[in-house]
Amino acid sequence: MRTLRKIAFLLEEFSKPSPAQQLVDRFLAGWLMDGEFRRSPFESASAYVMLSTNPPDLEQRTKDFKLTVVPRAEQAIESADAVIIASRKPGALANERFVRIALDSLPAGGACFTHGALANSLEQAREFATLARSRQIDLLAGTPLCITWRLPEVNLPLATPLSEALIVVQANPSPGQASPPSPPSSLRGAELHALEGLLPVIERRRGGESGVRSIRFLEDAALWKAGARGEWSWPLLAAALSRSHSPQGDALLDGRTQDLVGLGLVPNLARNPRGWLIEHRDGLRSAVLVLDGVVADFNFAVQPRGGGIISSQLYRAPTPAEHHFSRLAAVMEEFFRTGKSPWPLERNLLIAGLLERFGQPSSRTGRTVPTPNLGIAYPS
Amino acid sequence: MELAGLYVDQFPDGDLTRDRARRHRVKVFPTVEEALTLGRSSLAIDGVVIIAEHGLYPRTEKGQTLYPRHEFFQRTVKVFESSGRSVPLFNDKHLSTDWKECLAMVEASKRLGFPFFAGSSLPVTWRIPAVEVPLGAPLVESVCVCYGGLDSYDIHGLETAQCMSERRAGGETGVKSVQAVRGVKVWEMVAERESTQRLFSAALARSFTCRGNDRYSCTVPDLDWLKRNHRNPLAYFYEHLDGFRTSVFLLNGLVSDFSYAGLERGGRIHSCQMFLPMPPAYSTLADFFNPLVKHIEQMILDGAAPYPVERTLLTSGMTLFAIESLYRGGIQLPTPELKVAYAAPTQSCFWRA
Repeated sequence: MRTLRKIAFLLEEFSKPSPAQQLVDRFLAGWLMDGEFRRSPFESASAYVMLSTNPPDLEQRTKDFKLTVVPRAEQAIESADAVIIASRKPGALANERFVRIALDSLPAGGACFTHGALANSLEQAREFATLARSRQIDLLAGTPLCITWRLPEVNLPLATPLSEALIVVQANPSPGQASPPSPPSSLRGAELHALEGLLPVIERRRGGESGVRSIRFLEDAALWKAGARGEWSWPLLAAALSRSHSPQGDALLDGRTQDLVGLGLVPNLARNPRGWLIEHRDGLRSAVLVLDGVVADFNFAVQPRGGGIISSQLYRAPTPAEHHFSRLAAVMEEFFRTGKSPWPLERNLLIAGLLERFGQPSSRTGRTVPTPNLGIAYPS
Repeated sequence: MELAGLYVDQFPDGDLTRDRARRHRVKVFPTVEEALTLGRSSLAIDGVVIIAEHGLYPRTEKGQTLYPRHEFFQRTVKVFESSGRSVPLFNDKHLSTDWKECLAMVEASKRLGFPFFAGSSLPVTWRIPAVEVPLGAPLVESVCVCYGGLDSYDIHGLETAQCMSERRAGGETGVKSVQAVRGVKVWEMVAERESTQRLFSAALARSFTCRGNDRYSCTVPDLDWLKRNHRNPLAYFYEHLDGFRTSVFLLNGLVSDFSYAGLERGGRIHSCQMFLPMPPAYSTLADFFNPLVKHIEQMILDGAAPYPVERTLLTSGMTLFAIESLYRGGIQLPTPELKVAYAAPTQSCFWRA
C-alpha cells in the first residue's frame, strides 16, 4: 500500500470541459463513489501546463486547494507519489514527452496514469513499459470508456467462446443533434474510444486476448458491401443500435422510433462512414464502425459461439460533471494506492499499436493488412 | 400487437396524431366509446391505454390540472359494462386529482375484474447502478431527490420512492400524514432529521446532473450551501402508518434527474438513480417508455398487471394530499384516507434488459 500525499499533473492545457479538468478537479475536490462523496486522498498537488503558464481556471484552483502551478514538468513531479498526464482533448496524440519525464523523474515506487493512449506507437509504448518496470513505477493508461456504466449492466462471462464482436461509435455530432455528452472527438479519438470500449469486453473470451493478425479499413460504399458479404455483422450492428438512446434519423424529426437497420436507413443516414475489421489471432472478428449521423453514443454487441447476442451501451454521463470520470478517478486512486493494475498494461500496448496502424496511409487501402507486430496476447 | 384505434381529445399546433395515424393506418375515432368499439356496438379491442398529461385543461386553485383521466376511465368502464366484457387497462401517471375518483377507479377494476396497471415509467426504467431492495428488507425511510412541479413530476418522485419502500418488511401499510413545504423551511426540516439528511446526501450522490457548485461540478452541495443558494425548494414529507418515512424533494435548477436512497434499520443505505434518458438534452428518444410499453404489452397478453394498482392509488393520494397540505400553508395533514395496504411483487420489474 502506497501512502498518497502529493499528486502531480502534467497537462497540455487546462480548459473546461476536458479530461484534464475533470481529472484535476476530482483529485483536488473529490468525486462521487458508491452513493457517497469521496474526498481526494492527496494532501497536495502540483501542475505543469504546457500551453499556458497559469490559465485562469487553474489559478482559481490554486486559491481553493493546495495546488501549485510550476513552470517545469520535472518540477511538478518532485516528491510526487503519483502522476496524471492528460492531453488537450479526448483522442489527441499521447504526449510522449510527458510520459518520459514522469518515468525518468518520479521516485521509485510511484505511479503514473496517462489519460488516453499510452503512446503513439507500439515501440514507444513498449519502451515506456520497460522503463517503468526498471524504475519500479506502476504505469497505466486509459479512458472512462473502459470502466463506465453499461446499460444494461452486462458482461461477457469469463472464458466464453466468442465468434464476433462489433462496436458502433460517433466521431462528430450531427448539426442539430441532441447535445452530445462530450465535445466532438478527433478521427483518432473515435477509434481510441471504440477500442477502449470494446477490448475490455472481448478480452474476457476463452483464452483471453490473443493479439491481432490483421486489420482492414473500409469506408463509404465499401463498408456497406463488406457488411452485405458478411464481413462484419449487420445483426450485431442492429443489436448494438438497439441499445442506443440517441438514434438519429426521424427520431430527430418528431421523436418516432425507427428500426434503423431493418428499414435499411443506416447507409443513408451515415456521414463519411468508416470501419475497421480486426481479425484476432484466435479467429475472433471485431468490427469498429464510426457512423456519424446514425448514433451519438457508444454501443457494442458480441456474439458468443453458443448463440445469442450480448449488447449494451457504454454510458457517458452528461456535462458538466461527466461522472464517468468519477468512476475513472476511483479506479485510478485504487491503482495509485495499491499498484495493482485494474486492467493489463498489454491492453494499452495493443491499443497503442492498433492506433498507430490505423493512422498509417498504408493501412487505409481497403485491403487486409497483416499486423505481425500486434501479436499481443494477455489474459483478462 | 396491433394498435386498433385512437381517441385524441385535443389537436394543438404540432399535433402528430394525423400523420402517425395515416402512416400506420390507424383510425382516429371521434369519441372514446367509438375507439373502444371500433365504431361497432360493443367492445372490440383487447386492451386500453389512457394517457392524459398534456393539453389545455382547467386548473384548480390548488394548482392541479384537471386532466380527463377519470373521465376517460369512466367512459371506458361503461363500455366494458355494456359489452359484458372487460379488458386490461393502463392509466399513465396518477389516477385522478380527486381522491374519491381514484378510489372509484380501483373499485371499478375490482368489481369488473379487469387488470388495472397505472403509474409512472420511473419504477420500471433502468437503475444506475441496477440495485434492488431485497423483498422484506428492514427499510425504515426513503428519499427521492428529483425535479419538476406540483401535480406533474411529483408523482414520478413518489413512484420512484414507493417502488422501493413497498419492499420493506411487512409491506406497505398506508400513509398517516403528509406535510408539503416550500422554501428555506425545507432545509430547516432536513437539518432536524438526521436520517433524512443522510439519505438526501446519498440520493444526491447518485445524480448525474447536480449543479450545486458551478466551479466544481464533480462535487455535491452540503446543507449550508443549499440554505444559501437554493431558496425555493419544494418537499413532501410523509409518515406511514408503520412509522416508515418518505421524503420527496423537487429541486428545480439543482438537478434534472431522479435519484433514490433508502435506509435500513442498522444503517445500510440502498441508493441509485432511476435513469431517464430524457430528450432533447440527453437523448433523441424517451427510451424509458420502452420498459413501460413492454409491461403494458405483457399485461394485455397475460391478463395480469405487473404490480398492484394499489401502489399508484397510494401515490395518487400522496400527491393530492401533499398539494392540499401546501395549499393550506404547509400544515401537517393527517391522511386517514390513505390506509392503503398492499404487498410488493416479488420482482420489482425494473429494466435490466
